[in-house]
Amino acid sequence: MDTKKSLKNRKTPKVLNEVSELSESDKFFKSSENKREVGDGAPAENEVETSKTVIKTIEDVDKAIPSLYLHLKLDLVFIILLLAALGTRIYNLEDPRYIVFDELHYGRYVTLYTKGVFFFDAHPPLGKQLLYLAGHLAGYNGNFTFDRIGSAYSESVPVRALRIVPAISGSLLVGITYQLMLEISTYQSTAILAAVLVLFENSFLAQSRFMLLESIQILFGLWGILCVIKSTRRTGYAAVLWLCFGAFSLGCCFSVKYSGIYTYYLAIFLVGRQMWRRMSNTESGLRLAVSTIWRLVVLIGIPLAVYIGVFYVHLAMLPKAGPHDSVMTSAFQASLKGGLASITKGQPLHVSHGSQITLRHSHGRTCWLHSHAHVYPVRYADGRGSSHQQQVTCYSFKDVNNWWIVKRPEQPSLAVATPPDAVRHGEVVQLLHGITSRALNSHDVAAPVSPQAQEVSCYIDYNVSMSAQNLWRVEIVNRASEDSTWDSIRSLVRLVHVDSGSALRFSGRQLPAWGFHQHEVVADKALTHQDTIWNVEEHRYTKAEDRKERERELVSAEMIPTAATQLTFWAKFMELQYKMLTHAADAPQGHMFASEPLEWPLLVRSIAYWLSPNSNVSVTHHKFMQLQHKMLTHATDAPQGHMFASEPLEWPLLVRSIAYWLSPNSNAQVHLIGNMITWYAGTLSVLLYGGVLVVYAIRQRRAFSDLTPLAAQKFYDAGCILFLGYWLHYLPYFFIDRTLFLHHYLPAYIFKILLLAYVIDHIYYNIYVRESIKSLTHIFVLCIYIWLVYVIITFQKFSVLSYGNTDLAETDLLNLRWKDTWDFILHKKK
Amino acid sequence: MAKEKNASSSSKIWWITFGLVCGATFLTRFYKVLEPDHVCWDETHFGKMASSYINRTFFFDVHPPLGKMLIALSGKLTGYDGTFHFEKPGSKFEGARYEGMRIFCTTLGALIIPLTFLTIWEMTKNLDATVIGTLLLLCDVGFLTLNRYILLDPILLFFMSCTIYGVFKVRSLTDEGLAPFSARMLAWQLWLGAALACTISVKFVGLFVVLFAGLRTLADLWNVLGDLTKPVSYTVKHLIGRSITLIIWPILLYVFFFWIHLTVLSKSGNGDGFYSSGFQARLEGNSLNNASAPRVLAYGAAVTLKNHRTGGGYLHSHHHLYPAGAGAKQQQITTYTHKDENNKWIVKPYDREQVAGVVLVRSGDLVRLTHAATGRNLHSHRERAPMTGKFMQVTGYGEDGVGDANDVWKIIVSGGKDGDEIQTVRSKLVFIHYLQSCALTTTGKQLPKWGFEQQEVACNPNLRDNNALWNVEDNVFDQLPKMSFEVYASSFLERLVESHAVMLHGNAGLKPKEGEVTSQPWQWPINYRGQFFSANSHRIYLLGNPVVWWGNLAFLAIFFVLFIVNSIREKRAQAFGRIVEGDSSLLNAAGWNFVGWALHYVPFWAMGRVLYFHHYFPALVFSSMLTGIITVYLLQSIKSYLSRELGRAVYQGATGLVVSTTVYSFHLFAPLAYGMSGPLANEPNSTVAGLRWLDTWEF
Repeated sequence: MDTKKSLKNRKTPKVLNEVSELSESDKFFKSSENKREVGDGAPAENEVETSKTVIKTIEDVDKAIPSLYLHLKLDLVFIILLLAALGTRIYNLEDPRYIVFDELHYGRYVTLYTKGVFFFDAHPPLGKQLLYLAGHLAGYNGNFTFDRIGSAYSESVPVRALRIVPAISGSLLVGITYQLMLEISTYQSTAILAAVLVLFENSFLAQSRFMLLESIQILFGLWGILCVIKSTRRTGYAAVLWLCFGAFSLGCCFSVKYSGIYTYYLAIFLVGRQMWRRMSNTESGLRLAVSTIWRLVVLIGIPLAVYIGVFYVHLAMLPKAGPHDSVMTSAFQASLKGGLASITKGQPLHVSHGSQITLRHSHGRTCWLHSHAHVYPVRYADGRGSSHQQQVTCYSFKDVNNWWIVKRPEQPSLAVATPPDAVRHGEVVQLLHGITSRALNSHDVAAPVSPQAQEVSCYIDYNVSMSAQNLWRVEIVNRASEDSTWDSIRSLVRLVHVDSGSALRFSGRQLPAWGFHQHEVVADKALTHQDTIWNVEEHRYTKAEDRKERERELVSAEMIPTAATQLTFWAKFMELQYKMLTHAADAPQGHMFASEPLEWPLLVRSIAYWLSPNSNVSVTHHKFMQLQHKMLTHATDAPQGHMFASEPLEWPLLVRSIAYWLSPNSNAQVHLIGNMITWYAGTLSVLLYGGVLVVYAIRQRRAFSDLTPLAAQKFYDAGCILFLGYWLHYLPYFFIDRTLFLHHYLPAYIFKILLLAYVIDHIYYNIYVRESIKSLTHIFVLCIYIWLVYVIITFQKFSVLSYGNTDLAETDLLNLRWKDTWDFILHKKK
Repeated sequence: MAKEKNASSSSKIWWITFGLVCGATFLTRFYKVLEPDHVCWDETHFGKMASSYINRTFFFDVHPPLGKMLIALSGKLTGYDGTFHFEKPGSKFEGARYEGMRIFCTTLGALIIPLTFLTIWEMTKNLDATVIGTLLLLCDVGFLTLNRYILLDPILLFFMSCTIYGVFKVRSLTDEGLAPFSARMLAWQLWLGAALACTISVKFVGLFVVLFAGLRTLADLWNVLGDLTKPVSYTVKHLIGRSITLIIWPILLYVFFFWIHLTVLSKSGNGDGFYSSGFQARLEGNSLNNASAPRVLAYGAAVTLKNHRTGGGYLHSHHHLYPAGAGAKQQQITTYTHKDENNKWIVKPYDREQVAGVVLVRSGDLVRLTHAATGRNLHSHRERAPMTGKFMQVTGYGEDGVGDANDVWKIIVSGGKDGDEIQTVRSKLVFIHYLQSCALTTTGKQLPKWGFEQQEVACNPNLRDNNALWNVEDNVFDQLPKMSFEVYASSFLERLVESHAVMLHGNAGLKPKEGEVTSQPWQWPINYRGQFFSANSHRIYLLGNPVVWWGNLAFLAIFFVLFIVNSIREKRAQAFGRIVEGDSSLLNAAGWNFVGWALHYVPFWAMGRVLYFHHYFPALVFSSMLTGIITVYLLQSIKSYLSRELGRAVYQGATGLVVSTTVYSFHLFAPLAYGMSGPLANEPNSTVAGLRWLDTWEF
């Protein structure tokens, strides 16, 4: 407790000194300069000799000055920073009035929110909801189609409003940085330094100025961490309150983007560390347990509630059916307005003898059990033979050939009795194909593409020794009781072949040309696979007995909707979670983009190859650039092999930039590119911190202690928050198997900038406390200033690429092209 | 107990136990070792590769060579002549001398058990823990099955066990305070280093045990550093000793193994196409071996162009057109991995058919490439490529070399300057289409049947394409002096690096296809599903002994809880200034086993390649040792709460129970390893129906 108090006390006089300088001059750069010379004396002195007398004198000084001033003045730095940030972030916000990069996607989603049309996205909804909210308040009516990157916004789109949320988040980030560093660093000037670095960082500027989610995510994350840190340093209600704030904010963080989960892990680690350290206090075990448990409850309960709440709002906002429906199961689709619901409304619930049904493959790829009047070829390409029976496939489109009739084996008539004779779990049925009237059959013949499984066919009696084996047992997977009825849409069924005990299964492979490239259906011994699960989608009762009549009925049938299908929020929520989780894994395997199979080499490629512009490509140079523009505008949503994709290993050295936008009639353009000076210093600081950490650890092992306990605690705190935070947000990307972009690095980068500020802080402190080299402090400070000026100049130089409002000549661009691997874009000269 | 007996009798007991374990190992491992007398499971691969070594023909595999070389060596020494084809699982050996190879693998597999015994002893110096841990491994039928065939796994697991033993031996020696450069210390470190090198030279998963040894070494150094009675130089000496024996020495060995591999495989075989021109020039029987060609490229030369991607083929064309729906209906251009007359191209300037005299092609020149056999020019235009829509189609166009402006390509030496000569084999070339500014590349995708399943060639507008690099391989031009290909042949080091690139590429290429059922890491520890080794009348099914596996799983959880409880207890005791009594050495050993288990298991979760059940077995070794140690730790704790007599009774009773259950379960499941016949277990009349405890087991 004593140490904590002294820590607080030390901070106050420093702030006072600093701020009194501030009042003299409005420029805070200058003030921070002055402060370094004047203000730092007190705390440093304090740490050299941690004697009680010094603390006491400082306490006296503290008492002498009313605390009112203190608050007012402290805020001033914060406010100036915030204003500067708002100024840079909001300046000319609606410029360029064109669709920039991923605004294409987010804009589309905002439009869909406006219209209430259901969509599917692999990211959670909070960020998009916030964008929508701003747009809605400004009166955006959704009458704009986001067709491609670079097309101009119409007058009716409130561009400024749509972009204001990220812009404000990006500005607040500067303030939060300052506050967070106040908690971590030794000197206040470090906090200012960190905030200034964030303020003059081109990548954060560019990312904050458009409808992009990173700045919102980072803001929530950092604010959450700040609250958690505050909570760990306080006791009583303050701790509870801060932790609740933190937990809420972290919940928001991963409701914006899933990568926010890493920030959440960091928070859990910090709280865990706090509890671990408290165990060495002589508190009672009970108290310790209680405080652990409530922290756990808060940290898990609140974020979870936020997350679920966000999805609740999401689903409530999107009641209508839309283009992404087919990703979801039939039950989900049927619960949306329009779409499938308009077909399935009013259809009978219980599948009975004589029911006409379509059977949909429930999980993964959307397709329906299908057959057509074509047979399996007698011999396959690999020489194996087939049964030459009628093909059964899984077809991804609605088709009249997807209709099947449920029949009890012993009943000859197909008409539905009154009351209908409902089929229940465990009963044995036959399935007749509606158009060809052949029964679904399986037998001991290897399937065409997956020879380890049995072939499924529609039985044709060739009068050879192959008898029909067309009995299937209905197993309802989600049954409530052992005699559940088979319900349309709701019931998930597994059809088990009675003779062989295999289940009807979607194998996931495509048939060759003879099967019209439809998907293979087999009977597989492994019953529990999720691809063996089917559900009835459309359903009606057979009325006509005659076969011709039945066919006409099938072809011409139309359903008249009477009542809607309902699905509870929880069912919808769980399904959506499941789909989002599995979606990413599907994508590279060509589920969503079947034409683009995974190009593994693109992910493992080394540093990109480039033709030097000053050698031999000058003829093609401009054309190449122009073409790149084409690529940029046309192919940004292609998932693999993106032109501006990068690898995690390339990020710390800023090897690649991302072109966000190019003006159609000038060379003004927007790029996501970092401030080189900060960026490299940051990378250096990570190495430096790591090195110093090792040195301290080894020295301590040999019982040398270089730091006072207080300084050591600060050092390790910074390590746990910043160093660990950086790696937590960075390392996972090495294991992620999809296209990555530079902006994935930004959440890690903010921790890196803070670490950079801390490392400078720590070096300064170390120089200061050593009598022999104390005089070097001035030189060190001077170096930092020169470096800072350089940072600002670089920022200013590259800001044209963040604002995108200046036409650039070729020479300008070549001047900015500090690295061969940065691809800027030029229009072809006329 | 130790007090009651004197040292000599306890050492006698130790030797008796060790002898018993060795005897039991010998009996279980060599019982019916030569059955079945047909190829089982992956023996088909490793047998084939052993034959290749014996016949010295080059082949390609994703694993490093040591394991296969040892199999080949054992085969050679026991009279196998390399003629058997190992065609597919189930084919009969019919007199081929497979016995030597199988016994060799089984011997290494059997040695794992005594090594494990020694390892646990080294870790804990507790005979009970040692016996239980070893017994679990001994009685695991899966472990038994996997270690009895011509596979890499017994070899891998053997070297891995050597490594673990070495690691803990070195730890004991360090703790005893042996001087860093004493002979005994160095000998054991060299042993450890050699074991490390061997492990990683068998399979790349050996990397995990290298990491384990690395962590353990760091911990040793850390302990040495913490001893304030010794100077820092003492630690430095340890560090130097270990750097040499555990880093440099293994690397030398590893390189040496590859040297043997590349020296032995001196003849051209079916794996050539995966490697670069320079590599192939070293293989006897390859067309590049002993060939000669002009050093530089001149106009008029007939050349073949090899793509530089790993496993890339030759630029190829033939008398067939792209079908309707795949861009313009012009002649197909592909890459083809085999050598063929249709791979020949003639280099011409862009504006003339011929040049007078010898004019060298230089980087930056505009050229045309005419296909020698059909007279069509390499051509590209604004049409989508057949497979990759983002790229442009490349076709053969024109008649007898007369085409249009879209036939012009700019030839550039990658990393060179304008005006550089173009060297055969050495220069990496980029072909930029002059009008469309795209780079000639291959996407590596197979064309459908109309393209004869050759690989797609396209023009990529993104010039940063690593696959857009080509090199001239054959270069036929009479007016320039020829020189031997020997000059281009890769040096050993280049070949070493290239082998690794190809292996990594191959490993990364082992991806599951859509819909394919692959083994998932979560299934392994719960023994969810096994793997058929032999499926005919003599059925062998690789499946862990469920008693051992589920026991291991439970003990992993118990360890986790124990560890947390113990550290909290310690922390609290510290807070109140108490001292925790009790022996932490068992828990410490268990901790290291846990680390080893996690290192050998967790990384599989992040792997994208196809995974198999047998990947879990290295982790199983650690897990079993952990179980043995924790069992004894738990029993000791219980004993300490009871009165002396009761405690001893409970302790011995429980130990007996554990041992007898394990042995009995082995007896139950032994048919899985030694062969079953009769109906499958899912049919009620099967003899092994009662063993089918999980529905997913399919024996």
